[in-house]
Amino acid sequence: MLDSVVAAETPEGILLELRPAGLSARFCAFAIDWLIRIAILWVAMFIFGLLGGAGIGLWLVLLFVLDWFYPVYFELGRKGATPGKRALDLKVVMDNGLPITPAASITRNLLRVADLMPAGFGAAVFCMLVRPDGKRLGDLAAGTLVVHQPRPAPKATLEMVAPIAPARALSPRDQAAVISLAARAPSLTIERLDELAALARSVQGDEARGSSEVTRRVLGVAQWLLGRRS
Amino acid sequence: MTPLQFEQSYQAEWDELAAQLRLILEGRKNQSGSFEPIRGERVAALYRRACEHLALARARAYPRYLIDKLDRITAEAHQVIYHQRDFGAQRLLHAILYDFPRAVRAHAGYVWLSAVLLYVPMFLIGWLVYERPDLILSVVDSDTVANMEMSYSDAAEALGSTRGPHENWYMFGFYILNNIGISFQCFAGGLVAGIGSIVALLINGAAIGAVAGYLTERGYSTNFYSFVVTHGAFELTAIVLSGATGLRIGHALIAPGRNTRLQSLVTACRECMPIIYGFVIMLVIAAAIEAFWSSARWLPLPLKYTVAALCWLAVMLYLTLQGRRAR
Repeated sequence: MLDSVVAAETPEGILLELRPAGLSARFCAFAIDWLIRIAILWVAMFIFGLLGGAGIGLWLVLLFVLDWFYPVYFELGRKGATPGKRALDLKVVMDNGLPITPAASITRNLLRVADLMPAGFGAAVFCMLVRPDGKRLGDLAAGTLVVHQPRPAPKATLEMVAPIAPARALSPRDQAAVISLAARAPSLTIERLDELAALARSVQGDEARGSSEVTRRVLGVAQWLLGRRS
Repeated sequence: MTPLQFEQSYQAEWDELAAQLRLILEGRKNQSGSFEPIRGERVAALYRRACEHLALARARAYPRYLIDKLDRITAEAHQVIYHQRDFGAQRLLHAILYDFPRAVRAHAGYVWLSAVLLYVPMFLIGWLVYERPDLILSVVDSDTVANMEMSYSDAAEALGSTRGPHENWYMFGFYILNNIGISFQCFAGGLVAGIGSIVALLINGAAIGAVAGYLTERGYSTNFYSFVVTHGAFELTAIVLSGATGLRIGHALIAPGRNTRLQSLVTACRECMPIIYGFVIMLVIAAAIEAFWSSARWLPLPLKYTVAALCWLAVMLYLTLQGRRAR
């Protein structure tokens, strides 16, 4: 399968699947964060404007803090993502899937300056397009990864199909294929489902039936493999 | 065991883990009604069980939705359990008191090189401009020169004599934004094989030198040096240190040794981190001194020069002596 999944092993010995975020998702997240920062600065301008010269000084300090430490603050928080990234279900983690450390967060955000070069985040865009894991220079140096948060997969119920015993012994691989077809059934069109089920027609024993009946029986085999018996 | 039996047997455990994780992530304030305690040991045990279940489900090629469900819950628990929360005051204090000066000494070669790259053009251009003041226009533009000349002259408009507390705060913000930005650029410039850092150091050195040489030649030396010498202890040293971090990561990229370039870069960044914490704090101190102390022209000159000498001494001693003994 063409996939950009990065596997990270945990101390418990399981592999976590990390799905690196690409350029478009990260650009949208960046744009949202940028707008939020502009909005904060705009509001602050009015408030600090009342204080005169000292207010402008404080505003400049705020500009500095927002510029460099806005992402650091949110990345080190519980959600591990800035509001923009959260809106797109993105998250910053270490290469090994662990939560981001303070040093790594600061590194990747300070090095945004290098990503800006030569103009308009040129280095970052180039780097993200070239690398399958979509890292920019700051991510490379800090050893971090921006990943999609896993989304809950829809559970295939299909309880209305009666279970049917498979017509022949199925290898674990074949069983998995039949079950995953059943799990995908709700997201497929009827025609496509029939086409795919036709490929597995040998598991349901009765070759002579019409295509919709074959589909129903293949899904029945899937129910049987899942463990339903009645 | 069929997938359905598997799911039925362990669903309760997964639900319990998910509930505990929600409790930890969202806090008790979002809990409505019933008060449920967070039980850390139970979470760890449930997490290990869920890891086993995930490995089993994968090995037995259970349906995708089941593996996905376990994958999500273990990933979430993994994030919660391994989250580092120990960057409190104690850790920060240790970083400033021990890690920072030690890291500076560990990178002494880069620090010296960075100092040479900053100070040599500074003195060279300073001397040249002192000899031929018209040369300043090839380093700094004429508006800046006029501005500088006005700031340090004895006229009423001059810096500090009429500046109230508001202007001090304004300048504080300006210095923070400007100077720390420059230092971060010195660091990040290291990613371009160190060239960015070298260029930033040379340019800043030349600009400071040119202004100093010009103002000395014009006879404003007392005003100028009494202004810059105190915060210079922190500011110039911080720029040197930021340049050193840039040179370090540049060197790590050019000559990675037995590591890959990427590993070498990651290691270099990690080792430079204490220096970065250090120079940011130094620049904040510098900005505060520059805005509130340096500009106070009513202070007697001997006092200003004494404080300046003490500051330089303190910075140098801190970087060379502090934290030598392991603790």
